[in-house]
Amino acid sequence: MSVASISHAIQSTDLFTAVRQSTLFYPIVLSTHLTCIAIFGGMILITDLRLLGLALKSIPVGTVIESTRIWKRLGFVLMITCGILLAGAHLDKYYANPYFQMKLSLLVLIGIHGLYFRGSVYKYPVDLDLEPALPLKAKLAGGISLILWLSVVICGRWIAYYDDPNAIANLMRKLLHPV
Amino acid sequence: MLLEYDVSTNPLNTVEWLFAAMECVHISAFALSIGTIALVDMSLLGVGLADQSPAKILRATELWTMAGLTLVITAGLAIFSSDPLRYYYSPTFRFKMWCLLAAIIFNYTIHRKVVQSNPSPVVAKVTGAVSLVLWITVIFCGLFFAFTAGGY
Repeated sequence: MSVASISHAIQSTDLFTAVRQSTLFYPIVLSTHLTCIAIFGGMILITDLRLLGLALKSIPVGTVIESTRIWKRLGFVLMITCGILLAGAHLDKYYANPYFQMKLSLLVLIGIHGLYFRGSVYKYPVDLDLEPALPLKAKLAGGISLILWLSVVICGRWIAYYDDPNAIANLMRKLLHPV
Repeated sequence: MLLEYDVSTNPLNTVEWLFAAMECVHISAFALSIGTIALVDMSLLGVGLADQSPAKILRATELWTMAGLTLVITAGLAIFSSDPLRYYYSPTFRFKMWCLLAAIIFNYTIHRKVVQSNPSPVVAKVTGAVSLVLWITVIFCGLFFAFTAGGY
């Protein structure tokens, strides 16, 4: 069993075939994926900026992290569910795409980041507010998270352009010289 | 002259990575702008940063919202410039622009007024919900524009 045949088998399941062949469902899932980036990704972004000591300084770190935690988890599940539907529907095309592989690797790194900083930052964020200034570990956690998530967004977008690096140029050519 | 504008000379169409880079800026910046507005909306709805008043969250986020909006619109204008006629004649894109206009005006008028007053729970919830629906519609239109046949 090669990665290619496994990918093809996954893509060929009823569920992913239905997603791929739908005209409305696919863009709805993609729009939902992007809406999750806006709302829940925005929460991650603002939390990272808070940990860096840049944003929401009037609100304690503990409040920011603890009161958004459940929403980030829910958002993450929705975002990943949409992501699996989108990727699974075209896995034949994606599995060898270097940006897709990079995106998955970055998500693994995000998992490791969460585990690594769990004890010192995320589990008891209220402790951070007791310190006279934001400790380095908080800034590190926020800064690394920011870089990882922005990289995920960038890889996500670049996946679409790998298949055909000349997609835009071809589109322009078609528009400028309609047959 | 505007009429002599030739899209094939636009850097977004000649530099291979620039269009995608603009899209990344567009997406990251709407995460910042819509994300911060959503924090206020959620607190109006009584969830998220619920133990903070919506007014306090608005004060803490408004500069970031403004920065995000400036960036997302700037990147959006750049993307628009890559093929203005296609966007201009697309009903989906036009609908997106009307929703965007409505969302921005709502955000800086009614939304702001309600947040800064002491709204009744009903007024607060309706305001938060309308704001969220408007912004989510803008995102959906942006995606559907790309997916509808021929860019319509």
